Amino acid sequence: MQNGYAGKFLQVDLTGGVCSSFTIQEERLKKFIGGSSLAASLYLERFNLDADPLSAENPLMLMNGPLVGSGFPGSSRFAMAAKSPQTGIWGEAACGGNFGPELKRAGYDGIVITGKSPHPVILSITNNSAEISSAAYCWGKDIYETTDILKAPDKNIKVLAIGPAGENRVIFSAIANDKAHFIGRTGLGAVMGSKNLKAITARGNQAPGKANEEKYKEIFKAAIAEIKNSAFAESLHLMGSDAAMDLGMMTGDVPIKNWTVGEDFELSAKLSGPTLTETYLTKAHACSNCPVACKRVVAVKDGPFRTEEGPGPEYETCCTFGTMIMNSDLAAVIKANELCNRYGMDTISAGATIAVVMELYEKGIISLEAADHLDLAWGNMEAVMALLGKIARREGFGDILARGSVSAATHFGAGALDSVAHVKGLDLPMHDPRGFHGMGLAYMMSNRGACHLQHAAMGMEQGMVSWPQLFEMKEDYDGKTSQGKAQLVFDSENYGILGNSLSLCHYLLYCLKPETVRDAFNAITGFDFGFKDLLACGARDWTLKRGINNLLGITVKDDVLPKKILTVLTEGAAEGSVPDMKLLRDEYYAIRGLTTEGVVSKEKLLELGLPELKEKLYP
Amino acid sequence: MATHKAFTQEWLDAWKQKIAGSQEYKEIAKEWEGSVGLICNADPSKSIPNPVYLFTDYWHGDVRDFLVCDEAKVQTAKFIMTGDYARWKQVAKKELDATKALMQGKLKLKGDLTYVVRNVKTINKVIDLLTEVQTVWPDDV
Repeated sequence: MQNGYAGKFLQVDLTGGVCSSFTIQEERLKKFIGGSSLAASLYLERFNLDADPLSAENPLMLMNGPLVGSGFPGSSRFAMAAKSPQTGIWGEAACGGNFGPELKRAGYDGIVITGKSPHPVILSITNNSAEISSAAYCWGKDIYETTDILKAPDKNIKVLAIGPAGENRVIFSAIANDKAHFIGRTGLGAVMGSKNLKAITARGNQAPGKANEEKYKEIFKAAIAEIKNSAFAESLHLMGSDAAMDLGMMTGDVPIKNWTVGEDFELSAKLSGPTLTETYLTKAHACSNCPVACKRVVAVKDGPFRTEEGPGPEYETCCTFGTMIMNSDLAAVIKANELCNRYGMDTISAGATIAVVMELYEKGIISLEAADHLDLAWGNMEAVMALLGKIARREGFGDILARGSVSAATHFGAGALDSVAHVKGLDLPMHDPRGFHGMGLAYMMSNRGACHLQHAAMGMEQGMVSWPQLFEMKEDYDGKTSQGKAQLVFDSENYGILGNSLSLCHYLLYCLKPETVRDAFNAITGFDFGFKDLLACGARDWTLKRGINNLLGITVKDDVLPKKILTVLTEGAAEGSVPDMKLLRDEYYAIRGLTTEGVVSKEKLLELGLPELKEKLYP
Repeated sequence: MATHKAFTQEWLDAWKQKIAGSQEYKEIAKEWEGSVGLICNADPSKSIPNPVYLFTDYWHGDVRDFLVCDEAKVQTAKFIMTGDYARWKQVAKKELDATKALMQGKLKLKGDLTYVVRNVKTINKVIDLLTEVQTVWPDDV
């Protein structure tokens, strides 16, 4: 382990109960670097794209990037990927925590899991070896219980686990690393559950090396200084990601009442980062090797939503279980977050789905009887808590919601789909494109469906970052303008995607100078990448995943914003503003090299060195 | 409308008057307590030969001292914001949002960031009102 990579990948066939390893040539690593980018290249090469997402044929992949385990700030992240049961297209999610570094210490850059075990199992990885054993003793238990059981022999064991939602194939179920860090989006917990894989553990003691240790030490010092000097990092440390709530309400970023209300400062004040810090925060928590420590540890000591000390909600969760459903009780948000954590469900899709059914209930499309006699009035948090359990267990009305917002709305009919804000089946994250049209385009074009983390559009358009050394940037962008945003989104994707392939937290990507990121990558790997090379890797990643999605049927018809976002708000900072979807898309297609049908052009595939994809797209 | 040279006492007085006359500000800023020091770094190329120190004091929707001062006085402020002349000019002309400038490191803040985030609406209103002051910038003369 001399260059950031462990040098081998674990291959697990759950059907046969066999573990082996394989290697990847350096040339391929230089093209795809790591993370979800490398996963996509393996997926295209080795697997049947037509496989049902919850079938044994659909692989579940976990990939580190070269920075993981290096000790570089923010480098604890790892990606997981599979064909998504939630969207039916390319699915991926990334999280921080400590599993990625531990997997590398155990000698692996990633894991490719295929097949399906005949009975629930646990995959245990320790220093260059792996074994599969029965999970009978923890199947059915929630994520916190499972994690405690698996860490009992050695608290240094790192755990990835699913909860009852994943076991029951709730299509927005999540995978948790040590209770606090979530592979949340696109339903990969259900893929893990479909394989009867309850948990993966890792323990290792091999320190990953760096190609140039001396150079790395200098860069590390520079990185720490940049973080100390960053108000963005300070705000994350003090208030977590929910620091965004107050400012977001002012700029029209925060969705309210299932995207129908434009402004509510009283609501945001009760749910904001400063309020969380002053009321329920017990301490800040950091991912492995991160000086920012943005994660919240919270406790609610009394009241109906009493919650033991544990992982607290992110900004997104304060919206989905707060502003989106008109709940101003932060304690209730914390409880809903804990339930989602324990059951193993993505808090964005879980909350967004509940917001949809609250709207449908208000409109009379869902009756009290249809809702299993739960009063789904806006802000009724007792009903929300009950509903989360029913979804995870797939009981009655909860079973309908467990299929996701799009499927549930289709079930209820009567125009109910208009209440769902999604792109390609993935519920929108909690940033309103009516305030920031570039974000609308980024949602439209994100390869996993509506996503705020497959690019850095938010950082650029909202002015959190300034990267003139990478590409032309304006000093200040008008959020409510569509003209010219295609270039911003294109650039932001090519750089932001690197967070997922290098395995670097987006927050740190925002805090650090691009030079520092580039130099750290080169010092660790021994490569000699310039900005142009890195941005080309970002472009290749986006194009590869788009091509996979093209093979899965994605075309221009899918690159659309939902009716919710094309409906004007009558108050707030985004009042009267909707993204010009056609203008955004047309400009973007031209820059990205897509045909008018939304398919990657032959020329672009060859330019980016993706001949295998060209053969499949243009046989 | 009268014009005022930036960073002078007259300019500060005009700004203070704008804030004091705003009913909307009084409502938004009713929770705000404390002074804000502003430091503009020297930039001889822009006719700012020495650092400029400004002391502005706000209290529950009212405005108190607004002074061109010395470094010692500015250091007594509850919050201190520091930046280059070009940045302050952009902020004052609303070409650069103050919050974005802080996040990008174009302005530096000393003080309780949590308090500032909670009261970001107040800060934006104060800057909005500054844009209403007809300002002559030293490098535009």
